[in-house]
Amino acid sequence: MKRRGRGLASMWYPVGFTVAANPSGAVVKVNEDGTAVVLTGTVETGQGALGVLSQIAAEALGIAPNDIHIVSGDTDTCPMDTGAIASRTTYITGNAIAAAAAMARDTLFEVAAGMLGVKASQLEAKDHKIQVKGFPARNVPIADVALRAHIVNGTPPIGSATWNPPTVPLDPETGQGKPFGTYVYATQIAEVDVDDETGEVEVLRVTASHDCGTAINPMLVEGQIEGGVFMGLGFAVQEEILFDKQGKQINCNLTNYIMPTTLDMPAVECDIVDSYDETGPFGAKAVGEPSLVPTAAAICNAIYDAVGVRIMSLPATAEKVLAGIKAKRAAEQKQIPA
Amino acid sequence: MIVTLTVNGELRSASVPPETTLLVMLREHLHLTGAKTGCDVGDCGACTVIVDGLAVNACLMLAAQADGRTVTTIEGLATREGLHPLQKVFEETGALQCGFCGPGVIMTSKALLDHTPEPTPQEIRTALTGNLCRCTGYVKMIEGVQEAAAMMRSPQSPALAGQSPALAAPEQK
Repeated sequence: MKRRGRGLASMWYPVGFTVAANPSGAVVKVNEDGTAVVLTGTVETGQGALGVLSQIAAEALGIAPNDIHIVSGDTDTCPMDTGAIASRTTYITGNAIAAAAAMARDTLFEVAAGMLGVKASQLEAKDHKIQVKGFPARNVPIADVALRAHIVNGTPPIGSATWNPPTVPLDPETGQGKPFGTYVYATQIAEVDVDDETGEVEVLRVTASHDCGTAINPMLVEGQIEGGVFMGLGFAVQEEILFDKQGKQINCNLTNYIMPTTLDMPAVECDIVDSYDETGPFGAKAVGEPSLVPTAAAICNAIYDAVGVRIMSLPATAEKVLAGIKAKRAAEQKQIPA
Repeated sequence: MIVTLTVNGELRSASVPPETTLLVMLREHLHLTGAKTGCDVGDCGACTVIVDGLAVNACLMLAAQADGRTVTTIEGLATREGLHPLQKVFEETGALQCGFCGPGVIMTSKALLDHTPEPTPQEIRTALTGNLCRCTGYVKMIEGVQEAAAMMRSPQSPALAGQSPALAAPEQK
């Protein structure tokens, strides 16, 4: 019969490289019409990085994400970026872009200060305007400020910046240090049905609660979490690279390397924890890789809850789970006194 | 051999070797590269097109088998006026990430909605089971198909305004 179980697993995950330098550079220029161009060396792989980076630049400049033209992944034109790896794009590239945008914005403030007759430090950029803090009615459109900066003041608003997370190397004797700029945290809960006659595991539901700092784009964060749960599910119960004696992979096709389909995918409930990280761009940290870290552990704990079997190697195939159930029954029978 | 298809409403012919698959004919002879070559053995669904109203893996069908039949590819969905509701919803809700599986997923979903305008989540899951996706976990796709289905059932849908009736209506058998 099918036995229901629930399991929980938590994780923490570092963002960026371990102590080693992993910088990002960015250039932001504000055009005469109040739009902006961002140059970044990072690449979009479908995770939505360029959308999030546009949002960061737009927020810093007080304009809309649609006003940002982003040029990326071209080593001829873009500044160096370590890459879309180590779950670092939003945090590290985002910080570089936020700093470059702030530098361009400071030029706009200098120009607008003269136009509005106030100090540059009294200004803020919001809703396509440069306005006096606390007195939003005293404002000039960013397009007007940018045009003036270009053709009257002779100070085109361009910013460039690099960012590398501040770290402290690990002490070789004590192992102490601060190897990463920040960390993310998550807890996932899995609900499974285990058939105790076949060992088959069906994952019914996963609830994933993630602290990724401030979610700059919650829809994309959900997409990352759902994709991570899917990969964690494959890791937990289906996917395994098999080798022959010569070390050659024997299941190198989708016919025999089995990954989850729509029918295997459980219902996923995403919970984005309200959080703010002072070192991240507008409070953001990361969500990419961490999204799949706790899934397999939560599923294995759920299997234990359902049938009392500890799975010590992944994936938890029906054969392994059934062998575990049989071994457990055999051990229980032995314990009955004669 | 000469193979003639009605592709996206247009009669197209090509002279192809007999072993040519429909996918190769579409991509290399007709230059419709929307259907993707993923595994080329029918496992992944990235090459899905609609032949006479049914979603098929174009890599598993010979071009000759499609001779004289009606084929719809991803290129046939959007019109000058705008995207197909499935494309629009998928774009707006982040239902695709890297997008490689996208043409196949959208064509499978269109074939489903043409026959089942109001599918249950389980029907959508069953229909999409032959389309593998490595990025999304399918969650937003399944929700997106439901949302597009609702949009297509609503007669005042702005997304459908101006769309040619031939594409809005189910495929002719």
